[in-house]
Amino acid sequence: MRVPFQWLCELAGLSAPVDEVARRLTNAGFEVAAVHHAGEHWERVVVGQVVRIDPHPNADRLNLPTVTTGEAELQVVCGAWNFEMGDKIAFAHSGARLWNAYATEPRLEELKPTKIRGVLSRGMLCSPRELGLGDDHQGILILDPSAPVGRPLIEVLGDPVLEFELKANRPDALSVLGVAREAAALFGTEVHSPIPDPRPSAGALGMTVDLRIHDPALCARYSAAFVTGVSVTESPSWLRTRLEQAGMRPINTIVDATNYVMLELGQPLHAFDWDTIRGGAIGVRPARPGERLTTLDGQDRALTADTLCIVDAEGPVALAGVMGGQTTEVTSATTTVLLESATFDPVSIRRAAQRLTLRSEASRRFEKGLPPELTELALRRCVQLIESIGAGRGEFLSADAWPAPSAPQPVTLAFDRIERLTGLAYDRAEVRRALAALAFTLDDSGGELRVTPPFWRRDVTTPADVVEEVARLLGYDRIPNTLPMGRVTGVMPGEVDPRDDDLRDVMAGLGFCECVTYALTNETRMARLIPPDLLDADPEAPLGGAAAWDELRRSAMNEAGRALAERLLPLHRAPLRLRNHLSSDESTLRLTGLSTMLETLRANRRHADRDLMLFDYQPIFLRREDDLPDEPILLTAVLGARLSSGRWDETRTVDLHVVRGIVDELLTRAGVDPLAMGCQNVRHPTFAPGQAAGVTRADRLLAAYGQIAPQVAAAFDLDEPAWALLVDVEAVRAFDTDTAQFQPWSDYPAARRDLAVVVDADTPQADVLDTIHRAGRPLLASVRLFDEYRGEQIPPNKRSLAYTLSYAAPNRTLTDKEADRSHNKVTRALQHRLGAELRGPSGHGDTQ
Amino acid sequence: MNTRIDELLAAAQAELAQANSDGELEAWRVAHLGRRSSLTLALRSIGQLPPEQRRAMGQAANAARRTLEADLDARRQTLRRRTAHAHVDVTMPGYPVRLGRLHPLTLTLRDIRRVFAPLGFRAVSGPEVEWDRYNFELLNIPAHHPARDMWDTFHVQQDARPGDLLLRTHTSPVQARVMEQVPPPVRVIVPGKVYRYENRDASHEAEFMQVEGLAVDERITMADLRGTLTYFVRAMFGPDRDLRIRASYFPFTEPSAEAEMSCHACNGSGCPVCGGSGWIEILGAGMVHPKVLADVGYDPDTYQGFAFGMGVERIAMLKYGVTDIRSFYRNDLRFLRQFG
Repeated sequence: MRVPFQWLCELAGLSAPVDEVARRLTNAGFEVAAVHHAGEHWERVVVGQVVRIDPHPNADRLNLPTVTTGEAELQVVCGAWNFEMGDKIAFAHSGARLWNAYATEPRLEELKPTKIRGVLSRGMLCSPRELGLGDDHQGILILDPSAPVGRPLIEVLGDPVLEFELKANRPDALSVLGVAREAAALFGTEVHSPIPDPRPSAGALGMTVDLRIHDPALCARYSAAFVTGVSVTESPSWLRTRLEQAGMRPINTIVDATNYVMLELGQPLHAFDWDTIRGGAIGVRPARPGERLTTLDGQDRALTADTLCIVDAEGPVALAGVMGGQTTEVTSATTTVLLESATFDPVSIRRAAQRLTLRSEASRRFEKGLPPELTELALRRCVQLIESIGAGRGEFLSADAWPAPSAPQPVTLAFDRIERLTGLAYDRAEVRRALAALAFTLDDSGGELRVTPPFWRRDVTTPADVVEEVARLLGYDRIPNTLPMGRVTGVMPGEVDPRDDDLRDVMAGLGFCECVTYALTNETRMARLIPPDLLDADPEAPLGGAAAWDELRRSAMNEAGRALAERLLPLHRAPLRLRNHLSSDESTLRLTGLSTMLETLRANRRHADRDLMLFDYQPIFLRREDDLPDEPILLTAVLGARLSSGRWDETRTVDLHVVRGIVDELLTRAGVDPLAMGCQNVRHPTFAPGQAAGVTRADRLLAAYGQIAPQVAAAFDLDEPAWALLVDVEAVRAFDTDTAQFQPWSDYPAARRDLAVVVDADTPQADVLDTIHRAGRPLLASVRLFDEYRGEQIPPNKRSLAYTLSYAAPNRTLTDKEADRSHNKVTRALQHRLGAELRGPSGHGDTQ
Repeated sequence: MNTRIDELLAAAQAELAQANSDGELEAWRVAHLGRRSSLTLALRSIGQLPPEQRRAMGQAANAARRTLEADLDARRQTLRRRTAHAHVDVTMPGYPVRLGRLHPLTLTLRDIRRVFAPLGFRAVSGPEVEWDRYNFELLNIPAHHPARDMWDTFHVQQDARPGDLLLRTHTSPVQARVMEQVPPPVRVIVPGKVYRYENRDASHEAEFMQVEGLAVDERITMADLRGTLTYFVRAMFGPDRDLRIRASYFPFTEPSAEAEMSCHACNGSGCPVCGGSGWIEILGAGMVHPKVLADVGYDPDTYQGFAFGMGVERIAMLKYGVTDIRSFYRNDLRFLRQFG
């Protein structure tokens, strides 16, 4: 809300500098977002007068006013039409700094002489928005005829305007008087209320209106006042200037007066042309089925039963608290006006305004809940204002319906409650003074504080509210700094798992950079993970329906692939969609982080050709029937094609074994026993055939990794092979007790034996290793694969695996004979169980 | 026979002169002094000689062995000296070793947790997709309350409706979730992602991180709130920081406060970072509203406490000098590699 400083000072009886007022109000909770020093940028803006208006030779929508500044006559090109010859306007010379009226972020720009459609413009006629005087940019600002031509505009219009950040709890703060009360309490001054005393006038004009409230829950009070002899003309300049400063557009005397009072007191008013009201009656009720109303903006609206209406004897004439109707609008032909001042139900008004997308200055105030006491006061002030500007004569209150008056309830609290909550022992006298300054009535004769708020402070209902009033008025800066003492807490529900930190650290240690990605994506983006020829490209269901997935699971996946799809890449699940979204790219909660990570990989590929290693450690969202979705955390990592390795510029190409090395280290470090991990081929359409694998433990898939299928990589616009690693963090957690049992080793020299085994090409290495481990017990201390060979020296369909084995005993140096005996057991087992042949000289190593 | 030893000695010495690295020296040692070297074999075979030759042979072989060991030492010294004098450009870059990095938001969250942990605050998390009841109603924000305008909300499509599903607009629902489940005292911080239906620009994100704090017991005061926050800004931004609080409004706290810290860039004298004011808005806070306590089953006449909430990006931006909040979510390696 914009509050002109002069206006505020008048009502608050203030004479403090604007920055001091802004600072103290902000500290007390009336946050001043900005002080607009209207005029601080107006060095080259002066009062000008239009002396001629020519048509633009090349553009019908532009005209060419000539303006005198007293010293010179200057022709400009102008797109506005709301001025006439002789009007005084704000004229900007070139070099003036004006607000760009079209920029989304406010910014000042220097005006330069420009040719517009072939005609040179030697300055500009300014709109209020361009001068920083509000949002209005529908026409240029017309100044009061008394403004002296040639004088700097700042002498005519310069007045700071305070812009307040609105808070939802204080309807009284949406008025100049409300801010003034607050300022007066802070500065110890006297409020100068603009509300005139009542005068006995009902019936003086000899007119009556029959008021009827159908449901007091929807309209607590409806007050009305007649004004006759109405002259609907332009308001005086002081009034128009104030409205403009406050960001409202002047319209005519009657509308301006109602708006002025709304700004001043916070009570929205509406003016009906009385002669258009049928049957001399006004009622407040919800709309009936089939009723329609053409509102002031010219829209014909069908009304629903939850829309509160103002009706005359025949039907709706206004949407209560939201917008008036066209047929009852005040026009230049109007002679008699009925002013409406009412208290509507905040929820009803808020819902109607939202439903009709008609949120106005009026509805914003009703939504916060206005006090019924205000209706009558606002009418008095409005009638007085209309009379003072010669726009009519009226009654202060002609009719009033207030079915169930109620006063604010007192709040009772123990005095020490204030100290108990704030931690500061206030003096009783200063508490009394503070509450009195805010117009609270206080009775502490019984020891307890019995505090009754003024009618405009119905937000104060609990002891905590009273404590806040005292603390903020006396200043939060007096509250001391202490640390909370107290009892030790127990374990809290939902504690963050410290192992999350460990996993992130391990990934960083392995060379990956952590990403924090958006949880929002859409189905088309996720569907890129499936080659397009496998999913029917249905724009309605980019991820395919249940039938498509049944088929995919049957034909394009093996069992491990299905486990991957189930746990780590659940693209077959129906995702959670948003009802409202910022863009269709972000309409859905993700089922996987992989598509987003491949997009991130692609974005980074533009500037890097190696070491693209990224991971993301965030939840995915899985729908559950009648419950919150499941939000399991998945670790999703992606790698580009090449990693730095060796000398400065050397790289190695990522392959399945490179990723497996990472997976092994990661899972082992996460606590999974490396000897208990199994590994399987994974067939899944997201991954390249034969280039993907899953690591299991006790039949549970812990992680899957592999090369992204070339078609999928292409769909993400990747120009080189990409690799991915998905880890089921929850599953890994189930096994993190595997390790961390101390295993002693032998300090005696180990006997080393090398071994090259020729086995069938499709015999898994894991079987060979397992056989070695079993047969080598108990002296086998370690086994390390050092070569794999296929080629001419061995038969086709065979491969040779070469290992270094170490044998050791815990309590003595092993003799060669003992080592040989163990080693022979190993070779025999390989021969018998796997049909392996031993290649080359059976290894004899050194004793180390 | 001594001739044979002499030959071995000469051959070994000739070869030693060619050895130019530690590796080659070791290979030479294994070949000429190791278990299977000719010299060792010659020594082993002494037993096969006639007794009168054994002594001379043994002495010769052992002498040769000592000579070779001395030569090896000498050669090693020579090589060391040579290496020491050889020109190695120590300004050459090392061969690449690449550690990864943690995201700056992760680092900032860890810093925040580290500050609060010694004060007894335990870190907890809660769901990102939340019921309207927890996100709003239990925080004293009933349906159609104008305060709902403070949070532009993403709503989630639903088939059935046991309640309205939304993306949480703040981490505050976890306050209610924790208090519902455990009796006081409670002391938690809640890091996590939140969502706002709001267009992005340099200072606004639709998805961002918050940390919520909550402490409830019998005598936790606003002074404790202020002290805790002062402790926090000093731990995060240096011991010279000051904290001030001013009145504000949040539906779930009463009294409510906005906290500002003295600018860490200019020490409060005014600079572009603080917009010239010397103070930087850093978080919202207040004393937990009695209605919020009552709704989770805490007796508001016995228990009271404070809550606060801060934007993690904002803290990270101040700490690292990042000027565009969207940078955190672009995940550009040129950005990510600058932190941690």
